[in-house]
Amino acid sequence: MGIEMVEAGDAELVRRIRAGDIGAYAALVARYRDRLGRYALHMIGDREDAEEALQDAFVRAFRSLARCDDPERFGAWLYGILVNRCRTTGARAARRRRVFVRDDHAINGAAHPNQADRVEWADVVDRALARLAPEYREAFLLKHVEDLEYEEIAELTGAGVSALKMRVKRAREQLQRFVKEAEHV
Amino acid sequence: MFEQDQEDIVERVIRELRRPASIDRALDARVMSEIARPPARPVTRRPFARIWPWLAAAALLAAAVIARPWSRDTRADAFQFVLIAPQAASVALVGDFNDWDPARAPMHAARDGVWATVIPLAPGRYRYAFLVDGVEWRADPGAPAARDDEFGTPSSVVTVGGRGT
Repeated sequence: MGIEMVEAGDAELVRRIRAGDIGAYAALVARYRDRLGRYALHMIGDREDAEEALQDAFVRAFRSLARCDDPERFGAWLYGILVNRCRTTGARAARRRRVFVRDDHAINGAAHPNQADRVEWADVVDRALARLAPEYREAFLLKHVEDLEYEEIAELTGAGVSALKMRVKRAREQLQRFVKEAEHV
Repeated sequence: MFEQDQEDIVERVIRELRRPASIDRALDARVMSEIARPPARPVTRRPFARIWPWLAAAALLAAAVIARPWSRDTRADAFQFVLIAPQAASVALVGDFNDWDPARAPMHAARDGVWATVIPLAPGRYRYAFLVDGVEWRADPGAPAARDDEFGTPSSVVTVGGRGT
């Protein structure tokens, strides 16, 4: 039964949950955990806050499952909830003026020079990303990392397509500058 | 040359960011534990079932005279929600207070297309909507729209103050 549940499509799982099989939600969480978690980590820049936003998004999605109009597109609907959670969490974190700290998982993995180089590069990328304005970071990640179409991003964020294209362009320019600055320090 | 340089750097950044993230598997258990809990603001079944026709009549009067889609009932914590939907076959009130579950707050038709229900609300801020015929989400035309709603369907906000407010 477990295998069957993992292989079931989103719409089928949503149907089961709505019919009272709460356990079926575990398959949806497992399916989307890492992909959505990557977005939350990059968007927020702090593992603890990112996992909190992700958990909150999953719980809110479950509690509002009746409002998922198209269960086939559960993933896109869930993305919209997470984008909103990340905005809220990011704003709260910014108010706390959190000092950006490199992910402990990556630091602990730097066992030899090549890995150390990679961790250093990852650190440069994270710091450059953190310097982008949230709306630039959001548009850049959704377009280039999560590989969404502009129309999909517009639906998720409420911003117009032309504004999004401008944000992505600015983000690319700024990232290039920030990375160069970091590499020359 | 500059553009090529920029492309190289940005593409390297993208490659780095696309690396799979490892999220703590314990998150799954935390989510499942959280959703198995009773809602934070459980709603008791409304105690007005036997007198709902009277309440519906009051709702009709309130909608016609006061012209407010929702209004406070005479009971301290009971709130009356009203929607005018002459074409509807069914209407449910859904919101943060009942986990957006249409089965928990069906509205009752009085006449002339006025639908009403009464529910108890503790002080707090609630987002809500009307679900018409099980498929159509409607915000409350007489209440503020919920600007922070991420679920993709229209909704409204009601803020309930403490007693005496």
